[in-house]
Amino acid sequence: MLKIENLITEYGAVRALDGVSFTAAEGKITTVIGANGAGKSTLLRTISGLERAKSGAISWADKSLISKSPESIVRSGIAHVPEGHAVISQLTVAENIEMGALFRRRNFRSDVKLAIEEVYELFPRLAERNKQLAGTLSGGERQMLAISRALVSRPKLLLLDEPSLGLAPLVVEQIIQTVNDLCRKSGLTVLLVEQNANTALAVADYGVLLSLGKVVANLPAAELKADAALRAAYLGY
Amino acid sequence: MEQFLSAIFAGAASGSIYALVALGLVLVWRGAGVINFAQMGQAMFSTYVASTLIMHGYSYWVAFFVALLVGTALGTMVDLLVMRPLSGKRGSAMLASPAMRGTVPVIASLGVLGILQSAAGMIWAAEERGFPTPVNALGLSIGGTVMPFTAFDLFVIGFVLVTLAITTLFFQKTGMGLAMRASALNPEVARLSGIRTSSVRTLSWAISGAASSLAGLLVTPSANLSPNTLDLILIIGFTATVIGGLDSLPGGVLGGFILGLLISFVNVYDSPSDIFLAILILLLIVLLVRPQGLLGSKEVRRV
Repeated sequence: MLKIENLITEYGAVRALDGVSFTAAEGKITTVIGANGAGKSTLLRTISGLERAKSGAISWADKSLISKSPESIVRSGIAHVPEGHAVISQLTVAENIEMGALFRRRNFRSDVKLAIEEVYELFPRLAERNKQLAGTLSGGERQMLAISRALVSRPKLLLLDEPSLGLAPLVVEQIIQTVNDLCRKSGLTVLLVEQNANTALAVADYGVLLSLGKVVANLPAAELKADAALRAAYLGY
Repeated sequence: MEQFLSAIFAGAASGSIYALVALGLVLVWRGAGVINFAQMGQAMFSTYVASTLIMHGYSYWVAFFVALLVGTALGTMVDLLVMRPLSGKRGSAMLASPAMRGTVPVIASLGVLGILQSAAGMIWAAEERGFPTPVNALGLSIGGTVMPFTAFDLFVIGFVLVTLAITTLFFQKTGMGLAMRASALNPEVARLSGIRTSSVRTLSWAISGAASSLAGLLVTPSANLSPNTLDLILIIGFTATVIGGLDSLPGGVLGGFILGLLISFVNVYDSPSDIFLAILILLLIVLLVRPQGLLGSKEVRRV
């Protein structure tokens, strides 16, 4: 279980997270929705160690993540796919994937091979293009690559930041369905940040609605989806 | 014809040394975002160590490898003792602006250069020394004909080409090489992938230290060794990286060879006094036509 208590993160004088508390259940998809600037990305960046929390607590499987570095947090089974199809465009597709498993290659050599085969099976288009530079891929393929890079680290918790950003609806559907399958079949816990609330709530089990750094609703996804008043007030439709 | 060939060989030999200097500079620039002005100070120091060992009767090769180790250690120490503590002070008022964060480590590297040069002056009394070559540095003669190159030229070119080949293989084919490239290109994604970027940074400093001490060992026979001899080599090596592209390893190497050949041709066909004018003109043309350098990437970072 991912447990977040009273989390405060600031950028200089700006308070991006203002006392956020919620839990994400294991083996479920929890989506964090909210308007631009609600603090969604900051939340993921604080969990993965890219930003320092000012105060509050974050724990995964009862171990605190506070003040740990990103490179040690990924070793405890938490993989973060940041916003904007974060791949390294000057490296090849194969190198981007291999990069995600570098820290496991000494102790789990055969499993690393297996993990890489699995992501190629999941996204056959990446296997076809594995010698190409990542910069030559389409937006959707880059997002698949970013997710693959995270998956080969064999995470228990996947932090996904706006995977739908800038992608065609059909591609979004395919990526979200893949993530959904991973969660249902292999018990991966997913924390999905989305601005596109409908897409996210369609597959999620729970929804956390964030506004100006505060949690304003934390409900089963279906209930959040049905609440017209909340949607109108915070999402504008 | 013979003059032409000898210009080519002399140019390739000195060019390969500039290529090594450029390699060292680009490694640290890409890995740590610092232009390391102490680099040839480190090389000077390790060459003095080699020279002292040789004076005490050790063989050239023992001295050679000890100097490479000293160079590697100096590179590592500059990062661990100077650069890492500096980046730990990011929160301080002096390092608040990005411009200062870029400048302060460069100034610190000048400080390291000063320390190394004074230390060498104190330890070795700033006397000028010669430095031996492992093979003959006089014109090579095969079957009675004097060749337009020396055995030492061939040795330098061969040694540097092998070093460059090994470096390329390391970067392209090993996991550590991939980790180093990833950290240089995108530290955030690298860290999220579990790569310990600060250790990788130290490794860049170490490899750069080894490359520059090799450059020092190979260049010193053609000049005398004194605490300031290698300053000029650093300036030429730095020019080579700017011409080739500050963020490109092949670019720096290419720039090194281009400058070596240019200097050699001006020397043979014109006059040694025009060398710096020729370098300046080449630098100006490259900066006007392709400011990012021949193989550099488009995003020019203003220093």
